[in-house]
Amino acid sequence: MRTYDRLAARAAGGRSVEAVKVGEVPKGCVISAKDRPGNLTGASDQQVAAWATQGHEAAFRELVRRYERPVFSLLYRMVRDRALAEDLAQETFIKVLNGIDSYNPQFKFSSWIFKIANNAAIDHLRKRELETLSLDGSPHATTPDQMRATALQLGDRSETPLQELEARELGSAIERAIARLRPEYRSCILLRHVEGHSYEEIARILDLPLGTVKTYIHRARNELRTYLEDRRP
Amino acid sequence: MNEPLVQHLTPEEIELWAQGLLPAAREGHVGACADCRLAAERERKLIRELAQLTRFAPEFGFVERVMAKVKIPTPSGPHLRPHTDA
Repeated sequence: MRTYDRLAARAAGGRSVEAVKVGEVPKGCVISAKDRPGNLTGASDQQVAAWATQGHEAAFRELVRRYERPVFSLLYRMVRDRALAEDLAQETFIKVLNGIDSYNPQFKFSSWIFKIANNAAIDHLRKRELETLSLDGSPHATTPDQMRATALQLGDRSETPLQELEARELGSAIERAIARLRPEYRSCILLRHVEGHSYEEIARILDLPLGTVKTYIHRARNELRTYLEDRRP
Repeated sequence: MNEPLVQHLTPEEIELWAQGLLPAAREGHVGACADCRLAAERERKLIRELAQLTRFAPEFGFVERVMAKVKIPTPSGPHLRPHTDA
């Protein structure tokens, strides 16, 4: 059984800072011995990605270390399920690191990894929407037994240690307000105000026109304020 | 004589004000317009709340679980890195 309390204790932590120097280390360039991993911590994402392309395992680890919390947090807030968010985060990192050759250092590494993470979350949410069971059970159930077996058990949630942890982590008013946003608004607001991306970067990450991103963020903030005011006396 | 046209802050300007980045030329309007000031203060409160959200951590050992499935490129081509605990 997983030790979820350990996670809660480690929940609060520092934010990774991306030092962006576009074009500083063009892909495929030769890196001299003095620039090889050793000063990984202070290197830009582009430098670390270039070292990873050359096969330095420490560089791969550094990229995971820098982005495990931001990527996991985005996914967790998108799907609101810890185990699933971790699966999607793993899937994201494996896709990114195994495809490191295709990273274009003219763009922020963070934009690339968040694009892949967000796509994973949106794909999952769409799939889940299609597969949602009714309270009375699967639409494919044809007998009373099958309906009982597939019916949602409302009392089951919040009884396991995982559900308790999720309730603690995502139970605040602001987290519940974020959860009420439609997924597109949620992505935009998290990328803008939690991850600090510019509107232009968000447009690239989400493959949306800049004007749409601005509209989504404006509407999302209005909705959040409304949700938060609704619950305040 | 007509009233001068009041140029209220746009949503983007309100966000800039909330971040302390609104150009001085527009700052004056926030001081003079109660509606814009109220909207800007509410926006600032929300943006601060969002910026303070916790960065959650995946379960212990996440890096190792990812690294076990990553192919490290070598001069002779990529290979699957054998799993080891750091």
